Order: sequence, then C-alpha cells, then structure tokens
Amino acid sequence: MRTVCVIVVSVLCLGAAKDPFTPAQRKYWAFQPVTRPQSPIVQHQNWIANFIDSFIAQRLESKGLKLAPLTDRITLLRRITFDLIGLPPAPEEVDAFLADQSPNAYEKVVDRLLASPHYGERWARHWLDLARYAESEGFKADETRPNAWRYRDYVIRSFNENKSYDRFIKEQIAGDELWPNDPWARVATGFNRHYPDESNARNLVQRRQEILNDITDTVGSTFLGMTYGCARCHTHKFDPILHTDYYRLQAFFANTAADDAIPMISAEEMSQYRVKRAEWEEQTKPIRDQIALLLEPRKQALIKEYVDKYPPEIQAILAKPAGDRNPFEWQMYYKAQPYLVFDDDTASKSLKGEARNQYQALLKDLKRFGDLDPGEAPVGIGMKDLGDRAPATHLLNVGAYDAPLEEVQPGFLSIVNPNPPKIVPPAGLNSTGRRTALANWLASPENPLTARVMVNRIWYHHFGQGIAADPSDFGAMGGRPSHPELLDWLASEFVRSGWDVKAIHKLIVMSRTYQQSSAFDEAAAKEDPRDKLLWRFPRERLEGEVIRDAALAVSGLLNEKMGGPSVFPELPTGTGRPRGGWKLSEPEDRNRRSVYIFVRRNTRYPMLEAFDMPDTHESCGRRNKTITAPQAMALLNGKLSVEWAQAFADRVLAQAGVDTSAQIDRAYRLAFGRHPDGFEKDSIQTFFQKQKQVIAARVDAGEKLALPAAMPPGFDPAQGAALVDFCQMLLNSNEFVYRN
Amino acid sequence: MPHKRFAHSRRDFLCNAGSGLGSLALASMLAGDGLLPNANAATVPDPLQPKPPHFKPTAKSVIWLFMEGGPSHLDLFDPKPALEKLAGKPMPESFGHPITAMGTGSNTLMPSKRIFKQHGQSGIWVSDWYPEIASHVDDMTVFRACWADGLNHVGSVCQMNTCSILAGRPALGAWITYGLGSANQNLPSFVVLTDAGEVLGGPKNWSSGFLPATYEGTQLRNQGDPILDLAPPETIGKQQQRGRLDLLKTLNRHFGENKSDDTELEARINAYELAYRMQAAGPEAVDLTKESDATKKLYGMDDEITAKFGTNCLLARRLVERGVRFIELYNGSGSAWDAHNDIEGNHSKMCRSSDKPIAGLLADLKGRGMLNDTLVVWGGEFGRTPFNEKGDGRDHNPWGFTMWAAGGGIRGGQVIGTTDEIGLRGIDKRAHVTDIHATVLHALGLNHVDVTFLHNGRSERPTIVTGEVIKESFAS
Repeated sequence: MRTVCVIVVSVLCLGAAKDPFTPAQRKYWAFQPVTRPQSPIVQHQNWIANFIDSFIAQRLESKGLKLAPLTDRITLLRRITFDLIGLPPAPEEVDAFLADQSPNAYEKVVDRLLASPHYGERWARHWLDLARYAESEGFKADETRPNAWRYRDYVIRSFNENKSYDRFIKEQIAGDELWPNDPWARVATGFNRHYPDESNARNLVQRRQEILNDITDTVGSTFLGMTYGCARCHTHKFDPILHTDYYRLQAFFANTAADDAIPMISAEEMSQYRVKRAEWEEQTKPIRDQIALLLEPRKQALIKEYVDKYPPEIQAILAKPAGDRNPFEWQMYYKAQPYLVFDDDTASKSLKGEARNQYQALLKDLKRFGDLDPGEAPVGIGMKDLGDRAPATHLLNVGAYDAPLEEVQPGFLSIVNPNPPKIVPPAGLNSTGRRTALANWLASPENPLTARVMVNRIWYHHFGQGIAADPSDFGAMGGRPSHPELLDWLASEFVRSGWDVKAIHKLIVMSRTYQQSSAFDEAAAKEDPRDKLLWRFPRERLEGEVIRDAALAVSGLLNEKMGGPSVFPELPTGTGRPRGGWKLSEPEDRNRRSVYIFVRRNTRYPMLEAFDMPDTHESCGRRNKTITAPQAMALLNGKLSVEWAQAFADRVLAQAGVDTSAQIDRAYRLAFGRHPDGFEKDSIQTFFQKQKQVIAARVDAGEKLALPAAMPPGFDPAQGAALVDFCQMLLNSNEFVYRN
Repeated sequence: MPHKRFAHSRRDFLCNAGSGLGSLALASMLAGDGLLPNANAATVPDPLQPKPPHFKPTAKSVIWLFMEGGPSHLDLFDPKPALEKLAGKPMPESFGHPITAMGTGSNTLMPSKRIFKQHGQSGIWVSDWYPEIASHVDDMTVFRACWADGLNHVGSVCQMNTCSILAGRPALGAWITYGLGSANQNLPSFVVLTDAGEVLGGPKNWSSGFLPATYEGTQLRNQGDPILDLAPPETIGKQQQRGRLDLLKTLNRHFGENKSDDTELEARINAYELAYRMQAAGPEAVDLTKESDATKKLYGMDDEITAKFGTNCLLARRLVERGVRFIELYNGSGSAWDAHNDIEGNHSKMCRSSDKPIAGLLADLKGRGMLNDTLVVWGGEFGRTPFNEKGDGRDHNPWGFTMWAAGGGIRGGQVIGTTDEIGLRGIDKRAHVTDIHATVLHALGLNHVDVTFLHNGRSERPTIVTGEVIKESFAS
C-alpha cells in the first residue's frame, strides 16, 4: 500500500509543471487581493450613516427591500453594551443616555464602552474559543496547566490596549523569536500551547504528531479561515489546499516544544529574586542535602519505573549524552523529560517508618527558613524552538504518523504564495526563525485572507452572522459572502487603519445598519427569509457567559476584579469532583466574570456547557446556539440561580422599599433597563397575590423558603419569597437572555 | 462523495431543541386558542422530532454495557490452549514487539487460570467467571477479533464512544439522537449511568461534540436528583414552581407578542415546559418501588455485591420502556477492570458484580418480549495481553479482544472473528470500533455514511472515514 502511494505521489510530482489548481480555484474570491471598492450609489441617502450602509443599502434596494427603522434607544443601549462589554447597562446609564440630546450621544456611549476594561474581557472570550483555550491537559488525568491563565490575561490586555492585529498575530505565532525580552510576547505564544496532550502516552512519535496536527489545524482556521485539517490525509476535497500544503504549514512548527518557564518578571527583578533565592539555598543547604539523600533513591526508582514503560528506542534516546541527540531526538527527549522530574512530595510518598519521621522532621527544620524563601518566581507558558535546526517534516500517507512519504519544507498556502519563505534564524537566539517567517506572511497586508477573516469575525460577533457565513471557513463549504464588496472594503480599511480593531468596531456599530430595529417585516422575510441582506437587526440569544455575568451584575453580586489565576465557582449539586480537581474559590471570587472561570478541558463549567460553550479540544469560530431543557433547568432550578435571585430581590428591596409596584418597577429597570407596561404590572401583581398564598401554606407546613437576605422588619416572608420568585423569573425570561 | 448541507446557523437551524413532541402539540393547541398569531409556528421542525430511519430497523433502543478498564477476553470468551504450552516463555519472535501502555511487551506469556466450558445449543465457550451470562450465549453474536487504535484508557474509552481516540467528536448516542430524533416526550434520549467513580475522560465521552448540545448524553444519577438540576432546591415548593413557570410564560408570551416570527422564543417557552415535565417523569422513571421483588432479585438487587450495577441494569430496562434510545451503563466506572496486577482478584470481583445483573437484564428483556427490538452490547475499551504484567496481571490489548451483542435483530449463538493462537491480535474477520458502530447504527435503521453533519468544511459522519457493517451479525 505504501509503495503504491509513493509511486502515485512521485508521478504527481513529475507532472508538477501542470498547474495543480483549476482556473476556478485560481479565481476564487478569497484568494484575490483585497480591493477597495467605491461606495455604491444608492437612492435612500437617509439610510446612510457611513460606508457600510451604502453596501447594505445597495443590496436591499436591488431586491426592493428597505432598512428597518432605527431601534428605540433603550434597546440600542442594551445591544451595544452587551456587544462591547458583555454586561447590561445600569439604570443610571440608561437615564444618562435618554437624557443626552446631543447628536453624538450614541457615539459617546460607543467610545465609553470601547474604553472600558470590560471590553477586553468580552472580546477575549471570542478569541479564546478560537485558541481552544483550556487550563488542563485533557485525556485521562486532565492535569492542570498551572500558568495557562496568563495567556487569557494576555488576550484581555491586548484587546484593551487595542493592540494592532498584525502585532497580535506575530506575538502569538513567534513572540519568543521577535520580542524575546518581552514576557507578554512570549506568553502570547501560548496560543499554540493549548493543545490537548496525553501526558502518559508511550508512543511519543504519535503524541508529537497529534500535537503538530492540532497546531496546524488551529493556525489554519484561526488566521486564514482555511480548513487545513481536511488536507491532513489527502488534498482538500473542495478547496485548493494540497496535501503537501498541510505539512508545509506544519513544518513551521516542527522544532517547537512547550516552554513552561517563561519568567514573568523583569531582568532586574529576576536578579533580585536570584539573590534572595541563593541566600535561602545557602542557609538551608545542609537540610536540603539530607532530604536529597533520603529522596534521591526514591526519585531514581520512579524515573526508572517511568522510563521502563517507554519502547526501547525512546529509552535509548533518553540515555544518550546530550551532544549526540539530533533534532528529532531532542523532540522525543522534551516530550518525555517533564514526566521524569519528580518533586519531593511525590517522592516522599513511599517513605516509611523511621525514614518518614526523619523526612518530616527535616521538613519542619526547613520551614523555619520560610521567611527567607522567596518561593517560585512567577512564570508563564508558551512555545519555543529547540535549537536552530529543525527535524525533517514529511508528507504523511493518509495522515498516519508512521507512514512518512517525501520530505517537505516550510511553505505557505500554495495557491496564494508558492514561493519558499525566507527563513533566517534570529540573531542571538537558539531558534530556527521558521515561525517568524510564517508570522510575517500571516500578518502581511498582501495576505488576501488575514484581514478579511478578522473583519468578518468582528462583524460576525456584532450581527450574529458573518458577511462570509462561516468565520473559520472561507472555503467553498463556508458559503459565498453576502456582501463581498463590503467585506473587501472593511478589510482594506482595517489594513489602512494600521490593523486597528477598535476602529473596525466603531465603524460597524456606528452604521445605520447596526442601529436598526429587529422588528419583523413579513414582505422582507418572503424575499430574504434568513435576513442575509440585513433588512432588520438579527435578534440573538446571549452566550452562557454573558447570561451568567448579566445575572450577577443585575443581582449586585458581580466581582469586577480583573485578571489573575482562574476561579472555581460552585458546581451544581450532585456533580462529582472532576478529575484534576476543583478547589472551590473563596465566596467573593466565585462571582468573578465567567471569562475567569477555570477551564478544565474534560469538564466544562456545567452551566456554560449547557449554553453551548464549545468543547476545548478544537478551535471554534462559531458556537452552536441551542435551546434545551438542561438550560432551562440550570436557570430555573440551579442552586446558584436561586441565590442570584435572592440577592437581586434584596437589592430591589433596598432600592424600592416594601411597595410592590415600586419593586416591580425597580426590578424591571435593573433587569431590562426599562419600566414595566400596564399588562406586566397587572400580571405580576396578580402573580404576587396568588404566589403569596401558595407560599403561606408552605410557611404553615414549616417548609424552608428562599428569602432576600435582609428582610425589612414586619415584611411578610411569603411576600419576600414571592419577590425572589419574580426576580428569578426575570433572569429566566426571554427578554433577559436575548439581545434584541 | 455527496456532501449534504445541514442546518448550521441559528436561522438555518430552528433551535426548537429540547422541546420534543410536546412543543408541536402545545403550539397547535395555542394556535387553536388563537393565542399564537402565527399558526406557522406549529410547523417548526424540532431537532428532537422523530425522523424516519434510512431503512427498516431491527432495534429501537440500545443498551451498551461498558466494562471500563478493559476486561480480559483471554479469561472470559476467548480460550487459548496454546498459552498453556507457552506459559512462562516470552512471545515467539513472530509476534514482533508491540508498544504497550506499561512496556510489558517482552514479559512472559501467562495462561488463563479459568475453566472454560461450552454453553447452550451453540456451544460457545465462556469461562467460569461468567456462569450466568453463559446461559444466554444462544442469543449472542460474540465478536472475538475486535480491535481499536488507542493504547491508554482515556483515548480508548473515547474511541469506543466516539470512534476517535482524540476527544471532540460526538458520541454514538448523540449521533443516534441526531439521526432518529427522540422517541419520548419527557426524558432525554441518550442516558448514561455509572456505578462507581468518574469515567476516564469524563463527560466528553457522552458529549455531542460538534453536534448541537441538544444531542448530548445526560448522566442519570443514583443519588439525589436523577438529572442535574431536575428539581429546584427544597426552598421552592411544587405548586410554587408551577406559579413561577406560569409567570415566566406570561412574561415571555407578552415579550413575544410582536415577534411571532421568531420561533426560537417559543421554543424557549417549550423548553421550560419540558423541564417541568421532566421534573415529574425523571423521578418516575427511576422509581423502582413498583418493581416486584422477583424482578429485583433477577437483577441481583438482593445481593450487596450485585445491587448497584443490578439497579442500573433494571433502570436501563425501564428507560427503554419509556422510549429512551441509547443507554450506556458503565460497570466499574473509573477503570475498575484495569487489572495490571492480580487479575484473579480483580476480575473475580468485577465479574461477580456484573454477571448476574447482565444475565438478569437479558432474561428480563426476553421475558417481556423486549429483547427483539433492544440491542444489548457488551465490551470494554480494549482487552488484555497474553503476556503478564507484574507476574499476575495483564496489560492493555487493543489489537484483539472480545465484544458481544444480543437482541435487536442480532443472530444468536454465533462467533465472528478469530484471534491468533495466543490471543494478541485479531487475524480473521476483525471488527474495528468503527465497524461495531456502523453495525449498531445499521440495527437502528441508519446507514452510517448517510448520517452526516457539516463541520469545519467536512461532512462529518459517525464512523469518520472507515467502518463497515458486519452484516453477518444479523439474523436476517
């Protein structure tokens, strides 16, 4: 079988003079240089707030459709606030916006939100989906990756600083080569460190190949919007991605390995740290030497036990003198090495009797020097090259790790740029320079995909639908763009602005198209049932993270602290402890924003999972949006959801007092930013009457109630519990979970 | 290859998920009441609505008995007399040097200490570790040359569920729910039960992967609420809950008054009603008080050792009766079958805990006439090696191991496939995990290559790129 394939491939290579691509593929829109189309001429000049509207209006007019009227101001404020910062506007912000009669009132809001640090938290989450960001290995043990969260903070910071997108790409692909002295640029390379990894795999060749595949697929879909993964086993069935293109892209990463010790402090701080550490080491040397004497044989035994499980070839590589290892052997070595280091705690587990007592006494001695101990220096995790020579990359027959065909060199997507990249090892660094070459190509204004893909992602998250429908697939299966000229105009504007992400946000949200109503129009729906032409603003269910954050905000529970290690909020009653651990955070930390919830690869946080948080085993550019019973159960029956409602009711009581109509009004203002209408007031008053009686019977039966924390003196508990019920139903309502 | 386009975006995919048949009934009822201005809402396709199979199925439901950790085929269903002769010797050179999980490839061969006997009319061999199950061999097809790709548990458990050793793909139960919809109105269609620790790899083993979350497996719990958040905390009474839901419905309807085109909003109302119905149906399904003592005894519920898994087996029957399509029961969840040492001690215990419950399940299904259209599948994520580990244990063996199936159209009393003389590798009529999945889908009336979902540019299917139906498994 293998010989047959080799022959077939050789024949294909011999015929290389023939263009491997069809004329149609050559002409495919996504590979053409980005143009800067003229603003189309449209009849309805009153629809035009900026260039975007001209392109939208042109298509609408051509179908005899029209833009919907402007939406009301409260809806607009909720829409833009959810979109840009992922939280609902406070009643005071609504009041201020309604009161501001200046012509640029809306623009002021947009500027305020883009400047808010919450903007980074909101938009980082979109990027983390693409980065298949998780803080654990996956597979069996799903061990924690202790410093993975720094990458999350890096993304939040980058969005908040409005880092230019080309720089953002370069840092994530090759920050270690390009800015080796900037810890954050090195943490950025964590983008490629988020692969699932089977730490106890015995077959290291296969393990390495799977990591490389993950990186190739993720880079291809995130930055280029190309489903490279389809070309792993054979040339892509629908798009011009050659089988060799897959391994050409992969070859840029052939010499990479995890770098889990990126110092996060400045050189100066580091030298101060080293002085302190040396001091502690010197003072404690006798004690530590004795510990080592006890533990070293244990450690050697553990290492031997682990090494013995590897196949003989790997054992031989591990045993070799360092100078004799070739680049491939270094790859194998670094895959095994982290698991051959055992800390004292692990090694001490097998100590028994007198040895154990001795060890514990020594630990006690060591503790006496605790004041001197500076602890571990803060580190981040990312990627690096293992030297300036890379191991060979081969085309793999049907993608099988053990079926290599001919060697391939690093290269870009052939149809876009078939030329060999210029690869120069960076001066003063022990690195290949391969990723720098890739980063420069990805982030170049000439790359026809990069800018288009990113502006389409931004557009997608504002409208809930892309100009190109699938944000991570610009190939034939992704569908043709609804407004190709608009996509090009935005992409050219993006590059022209210096890859200014916030500028693109502002352009989009200042458009008349974005500010239109979501109201239904039966005639328009007949012509364009899926609203592809945007004759109205698409209503959309908010993501689980936003629903949770909004509920916490409305309840007054949200802890707005930013950054740092991830938090572990309560799991639903009855959930087992996930493998890898779930050490419940302190109460105030449990109510941090959802982007800070620990992401355990095998066990997503249940509420977020129910609301379609993507699996973190692969990049996700477009989440599913389902409506399910488990979602309803989480918000209706979950212990946390009831607690949020209790806090919400507490807040309502504190702000509105005991008068039920004032309570209803305040609750509506907090949850929806508006006042209730007559029907709602009546319905809720009727509800209070009936529900109070039902609850009173429960009080008589001695049953427990969910009450607001601070009940005013003399306030009827049945009324208090009914208020909690009402508040919880607001948090469950369609109006609460939809961006209208 | 035709790549079918499946609904993907929110507007394509009318997210009426989770509302079951009830949504249709409710919608038409409301339309009749004149409460729903747009009668079209009643025709919204529901992702859980029953869909016609590709051809006439032989099974309606599947019960998958997952012996987690890897049961030894060599000590249960695949006797190897040659191992007696080779005992204590290394594997002959002709078998090569397999990479194993624990690096045991050069250890000496270890024959089984079990006594094998032929059973039933068919004379299929079963060891004395499974005396009760042995009495059902005439209902079984035994696949003796199964094989898989993973060496370690988590990848292999993942593959047995999703066909891939790498996580992220939908589980078989999710594909089935996607392909056929739900056959019940008040319960999930894909249910998982464990009997001990957390399954290695956790909930991703019953994940919907890239399919919408609607199709995800639901873990049914033995203690407390059978389903996570099925009922509100004790601070909310039953009638109070109804009052809450009525208020919610009133407010949602009011919000939706001028948005009758938006079927999602209505779907969300229905999802809450389904949640409410499940609050009653869930506890009813797991309430065993109405089961007779004789039935409970049949499943070994009167014996401490068999009670836990027996309870799960009985629950599985009750779920099948209530229209649940795919029920996965883990025995020894958390890898309890993983006998790297003392296989005698380990497997004695594991077999004892599973033998009677499984035999009871088969007998009960048969007695009720349910075995005809309920497919029961037994297996681990792999088998075990003929060479020893630590002198008295066996290492992982994904190259040749046994699974069996019964009921749901499966031909009884036959063995398909052979392993080599020491039971290391399958050599004839091998059945890869993808073949097993293709066969299970076939029993349900689904052609595994036609159940597709467009994901990242590829029309994905349950068996990825391989898999063939093992046609001779079926009675006709």
